[in-house]
Amino acid sequence: MNKLLSRFPRENGFEITLAGFALLYLLLFAGLPLLYNIVLSFQQVDLMEPATLLRPFAGLANYRDVFSRPEAGQVLSNTLQFVGLSLLFQVVIGFLLAMLFLQDFPLATFMRGLFLAGWIMPGLVVGVIWKLLFAGDYGVLNHVLTQMGILHSKIFWLSDPQWSLYAVIIANVWLGVPFNMLLLSVGLAAIPADLYEAAELDGANAWQRFWGITLPMMKSTLGAVVSLGAIMTMQQFDLLAALTQGGPANSSQVAQYWSWQLSLQTFEVSAGSAVATLMMVLVLIVAVIYVRSTRNERMV
Amino acid sequence: MDQATHRIQIENLSKAYGPVQVLKDINISVPEGRFVALIGPSGCGKSTLLRTIAGLEKITGGTLRIDGQIVNDMPPRKRDVAMVFQSYALYPHMNIEKNMSYSLRLKRSAPEAIRQSIAGVAETLGLGHLLERMPRQLSGGQRQRVAMGRAIVRNPKVFLFDEPLSNLDAALRVHMRAEIRKLHHRLHATSVYVTHDQIEAMTMADHVVVLRAGQVEQQGAPLALYEKPANKFVAGFIGSPAMNFIEGVVGPDAQCVLFGGAARQQVELGRALPPGQPVWIGLRPEHLRLQGEGQSVQGVVDSVESTGSMTFIALNVDGAPQPLLVAHPGTVTAAMGDVLKLYIAPQQIHVFDKTTELAL
Repeated sequence: MNKLLSRFPRENGFEITLAGFALLYLLLFAGLPLLYNIVLSFQQVDLMEPATLLRPFAGLANYRDVFSRPEAGQVLSNTLQFVGLSLLFQVVIGFLLAMLFLQDFPLATFMRGLFLAGWIMPGLVVGVIWKLLFAGDYGVLNHVLTQMGILHSKIFWLSDPQWSLYAVIIANVWLGVPFNMLLLSVGLAAIPADLYEAAELDGANAWQRFWGITLPMMKSTLGAVVSLGAIMTMQQFDLLAALTQGGPANSSQVAQYWSWQLSLQTFEVSAGSAVATLMMVLVLIVAVIYVRSTRNERMV
Repeated sequence: MDQATHRIQIENLSKAYGPVQVLKDINISVPEGRFVALIGPSGCGKSTLLRTIAGLEKITGGTLRIDGQIVNDMPPRKRDVAMVFQSYALYPHMNIEKNMSYSLRLKRSAPEAIRQSIAGVAETLGLGHLLERMPRQLSGGQRQRVAMGRAIVRNPKVFLFDEPLSNLDAALRVHMRAEIRKLHHRLHATSVYVTHDQIEAMTMADHVVVLRAGQVEQQGAPLALYEKPANKFVAGFIGSPAMNFIEGVVGPDAQCVLFGGAARQQVELGRALPPGQPVWIGLRPEHLRLQGEGQSVQGVVDSVESTGSMTFIALNVDGAPQPLLVAHPGTVTAAMGDVLKLYIAPQQIHVFDKTTELAL
C-alpha cells in the first residue's frame, strides 16, 4: 500500500480521493459481481434462499452439467462462428474502408463520419432496425435481393434455423465495422508517407507495398483491433436480445446469451454462472493478448 | 544536343497545384556521371523539382527525359532512380540487410547475388557489423549511411538526394559531405542533390542550380556562380558570409559609383556604365582589406567578432541597408566607433541594376 501511495507525486490526498472513487466504483459494480459469479459457479444454488452466501459446494458439477446438455455442442459451435466470422468480416471490411477513406477524394471525411452513425446507436435500436430489414414477408433485404434477381424465393432470415445465426452475424458485422474502421484509420494514418514513396522508388507496385509496408506496419494496430473486437463480440447481448433471442431452437444461441437465459429465464443460476465464468476466462485471455500487443506498439 | 550523353534532361518543365505555379520553365540537363546541386531558400521549389524527377510529383508542363526517354507519365518504380530521403525513410520493420535488399528482392534477384552485393556495399559504407540490427537501434549517422546503401545497392541510373545531411550534427555533416563526395568520385553515379546549405552545394557539386520562387536564377560551375553572379539574388545567396550591398548612382564620368548620402564616397569601377544609373554595388566580405591599394570605402565600426583565425568587423556605411561585414584573416584591433577605411580591387566590385537587379 505504501508503494502504491508513493506513486502519487504529491500526496495531498486529492488525487488519492479521485482514484479512490473510481476504484470503489469498479470494486462494487464490477469486481464483486465477477467474484460472486465465480463463487456461484462452484455452488449448488437454491432459489428458495437467494440471500445467502454460504451454499453447498458443488465442485465442478455445474461445469459438467453445462457440457452434458444436448445444446452445449451447438452453443459452442455457434459461439465460435459468431466470434470468428464477426471478427473476420469486421476487420476486413473495416480495413478496406479505412484504406478507402485515406484516399483523397471529395467528401472523404464527411462520408467517414457518416459511417460512425451505426456505432453511436445502441445495440438494441440497431437490432430493431435489422429486424425490420430481415423480416421475411415485408423485409427490405428480401425485397432488394429478389428485385436484383439474386434470390428467387424469400429467406426467413430470423426464423429459419439455417439462416438465423448468419443474420445475427451480419447485423453484428454492420455494428462493428465503424469501430474497426476508426481504429485502423488511425493506424494507417500513422504510417509515414515517405515509406511508401521509398518503396515505390524501390520498385514495389501497389500490391507489394500493401504486403511489404502497410500490413507489417499495422501489425500492432491489427492485434489491438482484433482483441478488442473479440472482447466486444463476446459481450454482444442486446443485438441478440432484439433479433432472435438465441432461437429458433437454439440455432443462433451463443454462450453469452445462453448464460443469461440459464440464470435469469430458467433460473438455473449455477449453470448460468458456469457458462459466464468460462466466457470470462476467454475474455481474460484475449485481454492479455490485447495488452501485450499495445505494449509492443509503444516499443516501436 | 546529344541526348544519349545526358542522363537527365529537363525542358521547359513546369508544375502547378491548381492556380499556384510552383515550378516555372525549368531547363536543366545533367550529363552522365555529373553531380548537380539544387539550391535555394526554403519554398523555392527545389525539393518539388527533385520529386518530379523521381516521379513522386507529376509535372504539368514541359518534358522530362531520363536516358533520352520521356518519363513524364512513367511511375516512379519504372524510372530506375534511387532517392535518399531527408528522413531516411528506412523501413522500421526490416533489419538493415532487409532494408538494403528490398528492391533486389522485389526484382527477384538470386539470393546469392543479393547477399554478395549487400556485403559489398556494406563493406564500402562500414555497415558490415550492423546488418542484423533494426533501424531504431542505429544512430542518425548510421541510418544516413543505410539510406545511401539502400540506394547504391540498386545501381540505379540516377541518385536523388533530398537534403540528406540536414538531420545530422555539424561535425558529422562535414564528415558525411566528404564521404558522399568520395563515393561519387568512385561510383561516377549521376546525382541530383537538394540542399539549402550553399557550402554543401559549393563543395560537393560539379554544377549548381540556384532556384528562387520556382525559377532557375542561374546555373553553372560553383566558382562561376561565385565569381560572376548573374543577379543580386545569386550574388547574395552564394558565398559565406553573404555579399554586402550598397545603394549608389553611376557618376557623371561613367567610371565610378557615388554613394553614402551627405558623406559622399565613390569607388572607381575601371569600366564604363551609363552615367546617372541607379545601381547596387556588391562587395564580398573576404575581398575587403584594412590595408592595400585600389578603391576604398569608409565606415564606422558597429561590432567586432574574433574567432582567432578570422576577425569579422561590421561597419555602418551610409547607403548600405545592412552594416558592411568584413572578414579579415587573423586578429585585428578595432573598437566600436572607430572610423575604418576598407580597400578592394576594382575588378572585385560587383554592380547590379537597381531595378532589374541584373549584373552590369
